[in-house]
Amino acid sequence: MSSSNPGSPSATAPSSSSASSFSSKAHSCIQALSSILSTVPSSVSSSSSLLHDPTVSSQISTLLRDPDSGSGDNNLCRWLYDTFHSPDPELKLVVLRFVPIVAGIYLSRIALRKSLAGFEAILLALYAHETTARDGQPISVNVPDLTQPSIYHEAKSSVKTQATELNLAVISPTLEPHGTMRSSRRARIVGVALELYYSKISQMPVSSKLEFCEFCDIWATGIQNKPSSSSSSKQKTILLPWELLQPSLRILGHCLLGAHKSKKLYEAASIATKSLYERSLHDIDAKAILATSSLLRLEKMALDPKLNVDHTEIDMSLAL
Amino acid sequence: MADDETPSQTQESSTAREFSANGTSMSTTDVEAKLDKGNIEEAESSLRERLSLNSEEARTLLGRLEYQRGNVEAALRVLDGIDLQAAIQKLQPSSQQAARLVLEGVYLKVKSLQKLGKFAEAAQDCTNILDAVGRIFPQGIPDAQVESKLQEMISKAVELLPELLKQAGKYQEAMAAYRRVLLNPRNLDNDCCGRIQKAFAVFLLHSGLEAGPPSLGAQADGAYVPKNNLEEAILLLLVLMRKIHHGDIQWDPSVLDHLMYALSLCSQTPVLSKQLEELKPGVFHRTERWNLLALCCSGVGQNKAAMNLLRKSLHINERPNDLTALLLAAKICSEDSQLAAEGVGYAQRAVDNAKGVDEHLKGVGLRMLGLCLGKQAKVSSSDFERSRLQNEALKSLDSALSFEQDNPDIIFELGAHYAEQRNLNAALRFAKKYIDITGGSVMKGWRLLALILSAQQRFAEAEVVIDAALDETGKWEQGPLLRLKAKLKVSQSRPMEAIETYRYLLALVQAQRKSFGPMKIDSQVEDDKVKEFEVWYGLAALYSSLSHWKDVEVCVKKAREMKQYSAELVHTEGFMHQERGEIQEALASYINASLLDPFYVPSKVWIGALLSKLGSNSLPVARTLLSDALRIEPTNRKAWYHLGMVHKDDGRLADAIDCLQAASMLEESDPVENFRSIL
Repeated sequence: MSSSNPGSPSATAPSSSSASSFSSKAHSCIQALSSILSTVPSSVSSSSSLLHDPTVSSQISTLLRDPDSGSGDNNLCRWLYDTFHSPDPELKLVVLRFVPIVAGIYLSRIALRKSLAGFEAILLALYAHETTARDGQPISVNVPDLTQPSIYHEAKSSVKTQATELNLAVISPTLEPHGTMRSSRRARIVGVALELYYSKISQMPVSSKLEFCEFCDIWATGIQNKPSSSSSSKQKTILLPWELLQPSLRILGHCLLGAHKSKKLYEAASIATKSLYERSLHDIDAKAILATSSLLRLEKMALDPKLNVDHTEIDMSLAL
Repeated sequence: MADDETPSQTQESSTAREFSANGTSMSTTDVEAKLDKGNIEEAESSLRERLSLNSEEARTLLGRLEYQRGNVEAALRVLDGIDLQAAIQKLQPSSQQAARLVLEGVYLKVKSLQKLGKFAEAAQDCTNILDAVGRIFPQGIPDAQVESKLQEMISKAVELLPELLKQAGKYQEAMAAYRRVLLNPRNLDNDCCGRIQKAFAVFLLHSGLEAGPPSLGAQADGAYVPKNNLEEAILLLLVLMRKIHHGDIQWDPSVLDHLMYALSLCSQTPVLSKQLEELKPGVFHRTERWNLLALCCSGVGQNKAAMNLLRKSLHINERPNDLTALLLAAKICSEDSQLAAEGVGYAQRAVDNAKGVDEHLKGVGLRMLGLCLGKQAKVSSSDFERSRLQNEALKSLDSALSFEQDNPDIIFELGAHYAEQRNLNAALRFAKKYIDITGGSVMKGWRLLALILSAQQRFAEAEVVIDAALDETGKWEQGPLLRLKAKLKVSQSRPMEAIETYRYLLALVQAQRKSFGPMKIDSQVEDDKVKEFEVWYGLAALYSSLSHWKDVEVCVKKAREMKQYSAELVHTEGFMHQERGEIQEALASYINASLLDPFYVPSKVWIGALLSKLGSNSLPVARTLLSDALRIEPTNRKAWYHLGMVHKDDGRLADAIDCLQAASMLEESDPVENFRSIL
C-alpha cells in the first residue's frame, strides 16, 4: 500500500511559501501518517506539534526498530522520504528528529545482508540536501594566530600581513553528489546526515537526543543495553571512521555540556562518551582519545562543587 | 558599621544576626519572628523605628534577611513592596548611595527569581539594572567609595545576565549579551572577564545554535573577526590560555580541555601542542604532558616526534606501565620496520599491564604485538629468524582474535599474514569474513580477496570480485581496483582489454587532477601526481610485456613528468634494452635503478640474472645480489629461479634443486600484485 505523496514536485504549489500552503501540507502529511501508525492524537495538527508529540515519536521509533523496517517498500520509510522533500522546513525537522534512529539501525544492520533500500533513500536524500545547500563546498574553520589582534584581544602585530596567513582546518570536506549508496561512501553519507542533524539540534526534542546517545553507545561497544529489546543483546560494533566519529562527538558534546536541563540526557550522554573513550583506546585513535578524554574530564569538573562557585552570588550585608 | 554576616542558610536560628544602620544596631530575632508569622508591615515598621530608616531601606534589609535565611519567596514578597521601577526612575547621578541601595535591591530580586526558576523575569530585571546604570552613570561612577561596591554589583549583573537568558532558553539574546560585554569589557576585572569569556566559549561550542557573525560597526578595522561558533569559541579559548600563560588569570584545566576538544575536532592538534608546551612546569606532571603531546603529534601523523616523547615517558624511571602510552608507542612502531623490534617490547608490556579494569585492552595489546613481530620479520637477517618471528606474529594475532572475535582489523591482518605465507585457504576465509563484517566498505578488503584468488589462479573469480568492489566504491577511489583489474586481464591473456582498463583509469585520474581546482591542498596535489604516475607506469609495464616498445617509451616519458627520479621507470627502460639485446645498456639501467632505490628488488634480480650469464667469475656477485633480493622479498619467484640457476652453474646441485623447487611452488601461488602492497 503506497501512501499519497504530499511532497511530490508534481503537485502544483504556486504559493508554496505561504503559511496556509504549509499548514495544508502538514495536514496531508499527518493524514498520510495516520494510515501507517495505529493512533495519531488529535492534538497533532501542525508540523511543530508533530515534531514534539511523544505518542507519535514513540510509535515511529518502535516501527523503525522492527526487523524488516528498512526495506525499499516500507511505508514508514516512504513517508519519511516524502516528508523530507516537503518545502516546509518544519516538516523537514520532523524527519531530522529520526536521524539518530535511522542511522543507528541502518549501520547496525549492514552486516546482516538485509535490504535496506528504504533507509538508504532517506539518508541519500539528507545527503543531497546538504550537498545542494553547501554547493558541495567544504566547511573550514580558521584557527587564529594570536599575534594578530582580534575583536576579543589586542596584540602588537609588528608585521602588517595583508593576507592573514589563515590556518584553515577543514572540518567537513567537499561533498560530491551521490545517487546511490556505495559502501565506501557509506560512512561519509551517514556522517553528513549527522552533520545536518547537529545543525538543527537546538530544535530537536530530548527524546531524539536520547536515541542518539543510545546508538552511539551501541556503535562503540556493540552491546545493546536496552532490556526491552527482543533481539539478542550482542550486536556487532561498527567501523567508526573519523567521518562518523567527528559529527557524533559534536552531538555528544551538546548532549553532555549544552545548556539543556535534562538529567536523563546528561546521564545517557555520559555513558555514550565513556563507551566512545574506551573504543578510541581500542582503536588507538589519538584524536578520538584526546576529544573523548577531554569530554570526560569536563563532565567530572562540572560535577565538582568546588569548581562551580557562583560568583554572581550577592553579598548579604545586613548593614547599611 | 557592623561586619557582614556570612549567610548561612542551614542554621537560621543559631547564628546571631544583627541589623545595623545609622550608627545603631539591633538583633534580628524579633523581626524574624514577625516575618515567620507573615507580618511584613509590622517587621518593617519595627525596623524603621529602631534604625531610623525609610520604607525602601527597611524593606531592603528585610529582603536581605529573608534571602540569607533561604526564604527566597518571602524575600520576593518583601521586595515587591518597594516600587523598584519608580525608584529607579527617580535616581539621580548625585544620590549615589541611594542608587546603590535601590540597585542592590533589584539585584537581590533577580537572584531570588533565579533561585525560583523564573529566569525570564530575572533576566528582565537584570537588564533594567544595567540600563539604569548606563543611564545614571554614562561616564562611569564618580565617587570612588561607592564606586567599588556598586561596580562589584554591576560586574555580577553583567556576568549574570547572559546566564539568565540562557536558562530562560533565549539563546540568541544570551549570545548578544555575551558579545556586548566582551567586545567592550571596560570595567571588568580579569577574573570576571575570564569567567564570562569561558562561559561564552562553552556556550558557542555546545549550544547547537549558530550565533551568526557579530555586528561590530567600527571596531573591526584590521582585527580578526570569527565567522562561526567554532572559530569564535577557539579564539576565546586561545585568548584565555594566553591570559593564563601571562599570569593574568589562574590556571583553569577546563579551558585547556575545551580547547583540546575543539582542536581535536578540527584535527588541529599541533596548535594544542604549542599551548601545552607554553604551560609552566608543575601544571601537569611531566609524564602527563609528554603523553598528551605524543597524542597531539600522533593525531597528525608526526610519528617521530611522538615516539621521542613516548620514549621519555615510558622510561623505567618515569611511567613505564602507562597503558595508553604503551599502546600508542606499539602502534607507531608497528608501522615502521626499523622500529618494529622496539615496538615488540612496548606491546608485550601493554599485554602484561592489561589487567583489572583494563583487561578489555588485552586483545589490542596482542594485536599490536602481532603486527610488530610481523614487521620485524621483514627486516630479519636470517631465514630462521624470519620464520620464527612470522609464527610468533600469527600466534599473537590468533590470541588477539580470541579476545575480540569481531574485530575487523585483526581479521584483516590475519588474512594478510596468511596470504604472505601462502597459506591461501586460511587467508581466503579471513578475507571473506572481513568483507562481510565491514559491509564491503573498505577497499583493502576487496583487494586482498582479489589478490588471494589470483594467487590461487582463479583469475575470473578475482575479476568478479573486483567488479563488485568497483560497484561499491566511489569514482575517485577506484584507481587501485582498476589497476588490479588490468593486471588480472593480463593474467587471463586479454592484453587489449587491459589496455582499455588503463585508458579508462587514465581518464579518471586526469579528470580528478583537473577538478576541485583551487581548494586543493598540497598533499592532495602530490597524491594526484602519484596516481597519474602509477597509471603511466602500469601502462608502460603492460606495453613492455607486449613488446610494444614505442608505446613503452611514450608512457615512460609521461610518467617521468610526474616523478622524475623513479627506480621503476629506469628499470622499465632497462628491460626494454634487455629485450632488444642491448645488454650493456640494460645492465647500466638496472644498476642506476638500484642506486636510486637500494630496496628495489626487480633490478637486483635482473642484474643477478644478467651477470650469471657473463661467466663463472660473475657468479658469486650474482649470488650475492640475488640473495640480497631474497632478503628483502623472500617470495620473489624470479629471484629463486635465477639463484637456482646460479647454484646449478656453480655445481651446487642440491641447493639448485631447493631454489628451483621454491620458485616452482611460488609460481603456483603468485598473486598479480605483491601481497605487501596491502599491509
